[in-house]
Amino acid sequence: MSNLDLQEGSVLRLEELSISFGGLKAVDNLSFEIKEKEIFGLIGPNGAGKTTAFNCITQFYRPNHGKIYFRDKHGKVTNLIDHPVHEIIKLGLVRTFQNVELIRELSILDNVLIGAHIDFKSSLLAQALKTKKAKDEETALRNEAIEVLTFLGIADRMLLPAGGQPYGILKKVELARTLMCHPKLIILDEPAAGLNDIETVNLAKVIRTIRDKYGCAVLLVEHDMRLVMDVCDKICAINFGKFLAVGSPKEIQRNKDVQAAYLGETEADQ
Amino acid sequence: MKIKKPAFNLKKNAHLNYVLFGAVLCLVPLLIELGLLRNSYLTLVGSVIIYSVAAIGLNLLLGWSGLISLGTAGFMGLAAYISAYVTVNLKLPFEVAVLLALSIPLAVGILVGLVSLKIEGLYLAIATLSVSEILRKSFEEFGDITNGFSGKTAGYPKLLGFFQLDKYGTYLLLVVVLVGVMILIHNMINGQMGRALNAMRGSEAAAQAMGVHLLKYRLVAFALATSLAALSGILYIHFIKYTYPPTWTLGMSLNILSAIIIGGVRNIYGTILGVFVVFAVPDLFLKQIPYFGAMPGFAYIINGILIIVVIMYYPYGLIYLGNDMKKLWGKVKAKVKP
Ligand SMILES: Nc1ncnc2c1ncn2[C@@H]1O[C@H](COP(=O)(O)OP(=O)(O)O)[C@@H](O)[C@H]1O
Ligand SMILES: [Mg+2]
Repeated sequence: MSNLDLQEGSVLRLEELSISFGGLKAVDNLSFEIKEKEIFGLIGPNGAGKTTAFNCITQFYRPNHGKIYFRDKHGKVTNLIDHPVHEIIKLGLVRTFQNVELIRELSILDNVLIGAHIDFKSSLLAQALKTKKAKDEETALRNEAIEVLTFLGIADRMLLPAGGQPYGILKKVELARTLMCHPKLIILDEPAAGLNDIETVNLAKVIRTIRDKYGCAVLLVEHDMRLVMDVCDKICAINFGKFLAVGSPKEIQRNKDVQAAYLGETEADQ
Repeated sequence: MKIKKPAFNLKKNAHLNYVLFGAVLCLVPLLIELGLLRNSYLTLVGSVIIYSVAAIGLNLLLGWSGLISLGTAGFMGLAAYISAYVTVNLKLPFEVAVLLALSIPLAVGILVGLVSLKIEGLYLAIATLSVSEILRKSFEEFGDITNGFSGKTAGYPKLLGFFQLDKYGTYLLLVVVLVGVMILIHNMINGQMGRALNAMRGSEAAAQAMGVHLLKYRLVAFALATSLAALSGILYIHFIKYTYPPTWTLGMSLNILSAIIIGGVRNIYGTILGVFVVFAVPDLFLKQIPYFGAMPGFAYIINGILIIVVIMYYPYGLIYLGNDMKKLWGKVKAKVKP
């Protein structure tokens, strides 16, 4: 893969991405580019194809057409489509889920440690025998997880099971889990869904501090305009799987097509 | 929702605990020699140990990984016959028998795992059941090796070619193996692998997003469960010294499965407690009950009722009963004090 496919200073570029489900074009010829350390929003009304685009990037879906260039942890540019889904995180791209996906029975700390899965180097045998190396590795990553939880302000709950915690906390646990792999790009699927206004404001703050502390880019897939306008450096709007506009939050807010798309949705709701 | 901590939550000294548990089990021969326990208790407790090894393996699959298997009995039987054949007919050392009786079922298990990687839930249950039934049928048909319905005998193990174990010696070997298995499995499930299995069960999507290779961990879970079933079969044949095909039916697999559900899903001590309830309680207590005790299906009925009760009140197994008792005791104490 030549480094020319992705401009210097960019971390991800979608090129003419398309996927359809039985005739329905969920994502239709979509292209956009995300710079390093940028907080980038992908917005659109319900059913616009945001989650589908998201799943194509993370290889949960195989796109029918298009390329997804990504600059990995070592600065190498690769097409994500060439990788199986469980290898995506190794490149430095990690995701959260629209409907929080945590392991209810495990403690918050253990849930976060799942995010460090790829960092364990000890073999199964070494783990079974609990060799010194395996033990040290576990301790080191455990301490790192505690650090991340402290940074997000939920370390006091780390030994509680994830099941039954409030939504705001669960979203933070998912964020903590993504941070364990020292990502280059975190992609969040509707992180504000289900949060109240205070929790949303809080989340915006957290996303910004994460970017500043970890120096990673963030792709925010959102339905909720409050969060996006507040936190994003740049926004891409889509509707019916198709590109509508890209620009700063102000530009997007003023854009007639975007207004029409969202207005259409409010009318349909009524 | 609050998850109750298990009664035996001595995590800090988990290893020491397992060793102490083993030491307590070692008291059984002593108590028999002192005349405090009946002779038959050695076989009874020994059987609980043997089945526990297989049950811990199945718990790894069912409890931790969320994969179902109804093939446990087939793999136990396969290992038992191999070990008997290798030591008795081929007159090869016990260690060679162990190696073969572990690796052949393991190979079959991995094969089944590979084939079944694409199937889930009920279909997986049926696929594993079929393999087990094929194995049981072959125990009946390959009479040259298995002696068919007359059954196959074997002796107590002879270690390193000269150290012949007797009944008590073999029992101690069972205890050592069980404690070893408990420690190894404890280490695995409390580390990266355990979290990966948990993630696989809890959310396949999250597991994949975090880099867990589902196929690999499914195979690992299958391989470990099969190895432990095989190990259990080896212990069985060299402690009970006799086997015949009807031992290795679906009934055995279901008993081990219900032991996990009754005793403790995802809990090592709970598994052993469950095996004790399913395999030892009928002999120890139920048969003493007048009239009902004589009914052949009585233990089955009690097991069925127990499963329903446990699922309703202790979905993670009876091992969590201890916790409630502790809480109750705390309340009683608090009331008495002031
Ligand atoms: N796995 C799938 N199978 C069939 N249709 C799907 C699938 N995923 C999404 N779709 C369809 O694709 C369109 C876009 O959905 P989605 O990406 O979830 O929208 P958004 O996340 O923007 O609300 C919808 O019409 C939806 O019904
Ligand atoms: Mg969506």
